[in-house]
Amino acid sequence: MEAGKTRKRLKANKALREIITQFYADSHRAKAEGRPVGWIPPMNGLIELFYAMDIAPVFPENWAPVCAAIGTNKKNFEYTAKRGFSGDLCGYFRNNVGYALEGINEENQPLDGLPEPDFLISFGAGCIPTMKTFQVLCDHFDVPVLRADLPQVAMEDIKEHHIQYAVAQMKRLIRFLEEITGKKFDIDRLRQAVAYTDEACRLWDELMSKRSTIPAPFSAAELGIMFVMVTRHGTEIAVNFLKGVLQEVNEKIARGEGVIPNEKLRLFWDNIPLWYNMKLFNYFEKWDAVVVAETYSAAWSLRMDPNKPLESIAYKTLVSYPLVSCVSLHKRLELIVKAIRAYKIDGAILHSNRSCKPISMGQMDIQKVLAEELSVPSVMFDGDHMDGEKFSMAQFQTRIDAFMEMLLAKKDY
Amino acid sequence: MSTKFKDLYDRHIEMIQEEQRKNERLAIGTLCSYVPVEILHAFNILPVRLWGQSEDISQADALLQIYICPPARHIMALGLAGHYDFLDGIVHSYTCDATCGLFNIWCRNLKPKFSFLLSPPYIDIDEAIEYSLAEHRGFITALENFTKKRFSVDRLRRSINLYNEARAYIKEIYDVKHRGAPVSYLDIYYINLCLQVLPVEMLISLYQDYLLAAKEMVSKGSGKYRILLSGSVISDVDIMGLIEQRGGDIVVDDTCLGFRLVQDRINEDEDPLTALVKYYLRRPPCSSRADFPARKNHVLEMISLFDVDAVIFMHQKFCDPHLSDHPFLKKVLDEKGIPQMQLELEEEEGLTGQVQTRLESFFEILEGK
Ligand code: SF4
Ligand code: SF4
Repeated sequence: MEAGKTRKRLKANKALREIITQFYADSHRAKAEGRPVGWIPPMNGLIELFYAMDIAPVFPENWAPVCAAIGTNKKNFEYTAKRGFSGDLCGYFRNNVGYALEGINEENQPLDGLPEPDFLISFGAGCIPTMKTFQVLCDHFDVPVLRADLPQVAMEDIKEHHIQYAVAQMKRLIRFLEEITGKKFDIDRLRQAVAYTDEACRLWDELMSKRSTIPAPFSAAELGIMFVMVTRHGTEIAVNFLKGVLQEVNEKIARGEGVIPNEKLRLFWDNIPLWYNMKLFNYFEKWDAVVVAETYSAAWSLRMDPNKPLESIAYKTLVSYPLVSCVSLHKRLELIVKAIRAYKIDGAILHSNRSCKPISMGQMDIQKVLAEELSVPSVMFDGDHMDGEKFSMAQFQTRIDAFMEMLLAKKDY
Repeated sequence: MSTKFKDLYDRHIEMIQEEQRKNERLAIGTLCSYVPVEILHAFNILPVRLWGQSEDISQADALLQIYICPPARHIMALGLAGHYDFLDGIVHSYTCDATCGLFNIWCRNLKPKFSFLLSPPYIDIDEAIEYSLAEHRGFITALENFTKKRFSVDRLRRSINLYNEARAYIKEIYDVKHRGAPVSYLDIYYINLCLQVLPVEMLISLYQDYLLAAKEMVSKGSGKYRILLSGSVISDVDIMGLIEQRGGDIVVDDTCLGFRLVQDRINEDEDPLTALVKYYLRRPPCSSRADFPARKNHVLEMISLFDVDAVIFMHQKFCDPHLSDHPFLKKVLDEKGIPQMQLELEEEEGLTGQVQTRLESFFEILEGK
């Protein structure tokens, strides 16, 4: 497996590194000061609530890509295997369980690792591997747990009773957090957090839309900026950072500067990146091709209403997972078709991700729609977003090389 | 073993089609045991659980990757082969990622006339009942629109009554077996399966007859190891047969088709819809809908209720919920000193040499204890 550094070209990456370091440092500081640290699943309205109550959130799922990038994922996989878990389970599960049960005790971890949780939220929601990760954690750490509930509904089918039920869960959560922190919940602070998220989402949408410019100002290799959308929703940090990126991107566009000098092909990427090999996104450059849109990055954006803070975080929690997964294939296809058109895509790369069944299921339907409705060629390759052992560079190259040649020929290059 | 229920199951598709023709009933496929069949029945619809093994699972390759669990791939292959063409629709009540994906892909490619995804709550809090009622009312409205018939509470009451009766008989069959009647688990397997795929009103008297006959058999106990069979979709009757041959007696199960589904009854003294949603919410949850403490409680309860000697886990390859539960449940059993073994089934299920050898050595260990 070929690892190595991605060529990132946005200056904003420097600020991003600082934000990442700060995020982990904040949770350690909270721990040191005796403030509670909670581990939570990603992509939901809990984060706004946490920030509104000065609680440091930790996202094991977000820690996994960090482990993959630095290579500690392999050790974590071993720890999980040692406990009898199947190697076919999602790499996030295998990494996070291994890390929480054993890796966490290691010396000299990058970013100092994760602080142990003081409480946990266990949702009946999201995908099975996330749900079960939290059950393992609840069994392992002897800390208070709030069991919550969130039915899985396709985004287009969400009705008032779904929102009301999710709001009821948020209220339970607030009571639980008040007890944990000994502090009163302040709805105005939540309003503010929701407003920040809404602004971050607006900026994110705008930023993503800039990639429809030809030549594209940045590529999927820069997707690390998504970190703020996962960990810093609900804060001004995300808003300020995204404003900076947007400005940089606008300047590039004004100068007519693309991410690569001579853009010929524009690509779409489906499924999660290979976190241990982000360099893969640069691979397409030998054909002057650039990945300008992904299913994954679109899923982070939604608008929220600060005047209805509880409903907003309830709604966010309800849609976050269905948006990326196959809870509604219909919605997913709609998203993809829209992106293919908006970003003027020449070809699509589908990562058939052994780890992630909910995102991978339906990919054959996606290919059919691309071919039949949009006449956009696509190619699928086998991989895994966390486990390099399940990805073959040689096979990838064979598939991609032929595909790229075909795309170039189709465009008469 | 009596072959009556197996024969019925083998003919279920013909029989349903006959019902469709003769009595103008609709038939709707159900994915997972959380679909409220009583509601379908109250609309005079035949619920048909999608279940089984295709002749050529590779037919699913065009739509589902090979790393999706075999049961989902088998059902997709059956659908593509036209096995389920007679269905008028499909309903999924949310359980796991694989089934939800299967439901979506099925709808897109096989284009059923009616489809519905129901999202039941996971935990038993007051708001969950309210929520679940609203969710089920949405399902009822969709059925009203589809069938052009009005929903009737009285009909639901009658359907509940029928299912209660059928489930109570099955539960009692487990019970007489527990008390020593020489009933093969293979019978129970098909008895359970029939309730999932055939009209309930047809089955009740057959269950009653079977129960009466079982009660008359001499109860002498099998003298075999009393096994709890745990897993998701277990349809591999050869393996069940081998377990019995080798000295095991499957007295109870913790699967997608078994005791869990017949253990409780729907309260008939309450508003029927409320009672129904409470039943589905409070029934011991499947792995996809349960957390560890609930799984632990259920498994331990079954072990004590049925005096279980050992547990055999039969897991489908790529089955995320059960594969993530297993190390935890193993730990629970180890602590209690209850022997267990895990079989992970490959795509081509069946009595492979490896499965045989592993079962052999498991029973040798039990004997040595
Ligand atoms: S990668 Fe997929 S399977 Fe894994 S935790 Fe995320 S959504 Fe779930
Ligand atoms: S519970 Fe397991 S075997 Fe059943 S459909 Fe889901 S993943 Fe497949």
